[in-house]
Amino acid sequence: MKTIQVFDPALCCSTGVCGVDVDQVLVAFSADVDWAKQNGARIERFNLAQQPMAFAENAIVKGFLERSGAEALPLILIDGEVALAGRYPNRAELARWTGVAETPVEVKQGGCCGGKSC
Amino acid sequence: MKFLEQPPRFLFFTGKGGVGKTSIACATAIQLAYGGKNVLLVSTDPASNVGQVFGVEIGNRITVLPAVPRLSALEIDPQAAAQAYRDRIVGPVRGILPEAVVKGIEEQLSGGCTTEIAAFDEFTGLLVESSLTASFDHIVFDTAPTGHTIRMLQLPGAWTGFLEEGKGDASCLGPLAGLEKQRAQYKAAVEALADENRTRLILVARAQQSTLREVARTQMELAAVGLGRQYLVVNGLLPRAEAALDPLAAAICQREQAALAAIPRELADLPRDVIALLPFNLVGIPALRQLLAGTTSPVAADDGEPITLDAPGLSTLVDGIAADCHGLVMLMGKGGVGKTTLAAAIAVELARRGFPVHLTTSDPAAHLAETLHGSLEHLTVSRIDPHAEIERYRREVMETKGAALDAEGRALLEEDLRSPCTEEIAVFQAFARVIREAGQKFVVMDTAPTGHTLLLLDATGAYHREVVRHVGAKGGHTITPMMQLQDPRQTKVLLVTLAETTPVLEAASLQDDLRRAEIEPWAWIVNNSVAAAQPQSPLLRQRARNELREVEAVATRYASRYAVAPLLKEEPVGVVRLQELLGVAVEAA
Repeated sequence: MKTIQVFDPALCCSTGVCGVDVDQVLVAFSADVDWAKQNGARIERFNLAQQPMAFAENAIVKGFLERSGAEALPLILIDGEVALAGRYPNRAELARWTGVAETPVEVKQGGCCGGKSC
Repeated sequence: MKFLEQPPRFLFFTGKGGVGKTSIACATAIQLAYGGKNVLLVSTDPASNVGQVFGVEIGNRITVLPAVPRLSALEIDPQAAAQAYRDRIVGPVRGILPEAVVKGIEEQLSGGCTTEIAAFDEFTGLLVESSLTASFDHIVFDTAPTGHTIRMLQLPGAWTGFLEEGKGDASCLGPLAGLEKQRAQYKAAVEALADENRTRLILVARAQQSTLREVARTQMELAAVGLGRQYLVVNGLLPRAEAALDPLAAAICQREQAALAAIPRELADLPRDVIALLPFNLVGIPALRQLLAGTTSPVAADDGEPITLDAPGLSTLVDGIAADCHGLVMLMGKGGVGKTTLAAAIAVELARRGFPVHLTTSDPAAHLAETLHGSLEHLTVSRIDPHAEIERYRREVMETKGAALDAEGRALLEEDLRSPCTEEIAVFQAFARVIREAGQKFVVMDTAPTGHTLLLLDATGAYHREVVRHVGAKGGHTITPMMQLQDPRQTKVLLVTLAETTPVLEAASLQDDLRRAEIEPWAWIVNNSVAAAQPQSPLLRQRARNELREVEAVATRYASRYAVAPLLKEEPVGVVRLQELLGVAVEAA
């Protein structure tokens, strides 16, 4: 089974409510991670504001921060290799990467387009 | 004093800065110690003069006070605790991660929540059984955690998710990460707080309508998290005897009695004590023992020399504001210092000088806005109800973004939405709608976001950086909202304070916070000054003399320009009385 590591930007709350607007993507992604874990996927999340050492100790992540800055996060690694940067994966991508079979949508989507705010 | 009868092990005093909770906490500790108990006094006051009071250096360790038998003390500096916490998180990556990234992390950890939780972390060791505190019968705290902090610690979902995975998860537990104490210890601490046989909460207030309203909110918030055992202390009441000596004193007496008569329902049922205003500063053990004795001897008349306060009035500040013909004027300061009244006074004076002015107020009582509306040419008034704005914002988020979550997720999101930052943002969004008018006219607001919030407001901050990067050294013409707030010709931030030690220090820390966001407060206003009102009553004259030192500190140490507004006989409602505040001669109509 592959291991997915998610390096989040510095957030006071991962739901993002401390920002100007609650980020629907973060709320949905948290639910997707939860779903994937329940199906046996190995996913770890690191918040820059809480665990900066995890960013500093990983050469790929450290290099990414130096080149692109914290604004370019999130960064997603699969087994230590860059898989995605600048946005969160959706449930289909998580399913493909981890080999978890995607079940019909259990979680009701919040907005009309299900992703970023409409 | 009712709050001293059969005291439990833990006594917490809470109330806004300047109401005298540290003095009352000290006096309580002294009284209990003289009554034969072993007492520990814990102070978190940034202006802590506990060491000075007892003639001993205290600091962040339990120190025996030789001046009073059986009394020890401990000073916790919440700012230092928060700094130590930030250092624990950020220290190891400094010099390893890029400088800008490290700064971003530090800003995330610079909010009020972090400070409060770091201070609570220091408390927890005192609230659970340990060899450290076993010898004390009573522990007296001059502060109490807020409802938000306690709820965050109570939230079982948050704890299981956070601690069992050992990773930060989707929750507002950011400030809790990296704290050293164990989950069991937090749980025991919260239980001790909610146990009325062990904990008593004493709300300290002044007899002012706005202050009492604020205390009533604290009362409800803390009762909702289980701190039901509450007492009320009304501090600094002007003795009725003074009323005969001075029209100002008579007016204050009347106002205070009216405020007490109309005390909010939540407070009316609490056991209540009243402490009279004292003429002297509460320094030294005899002075503190007198505080709770309940006896006041009238102050002897002094030499009657006029008290000279050589300070500029509000109208000089208005001259400076008017010089730019338009712009945003924001008043900032802790609750109860008179921001709404001063905003109204400045708006009225600008309008009287013929400038178009929009006054936006969040005054919960609304009567100020009502009395001004339509009363003056060039002046428009609008009102924002902060509670309605916050409720609307929370409902909106829960119905849209929270719709897909399960019960636990919803509970977390709901708690995140109760953080002080959220409240500030909800209100600021409402104000932001009128900000853009400031290009053509004056917009005067009785509130402002803190520097921390501004830095976190990604829409301004990130947008600003983005623009700067694209425009580069060419300097371009694009003005971002953040740049508008940073430009003193477009935005003037006025810091409002009272001429008392703690409020002045609180305003200074707001100023530091704004400076982090590269916003330099344009001026300070010292409001409700007794000295500027030239009182005759000996007691008020003594208070007035005490104020001079604080005004001096504002003038020389903190402010680049400042003004002093007098305490008025009557609530400054309506155009005429607002102008009295400016020191403008009022012509008979």
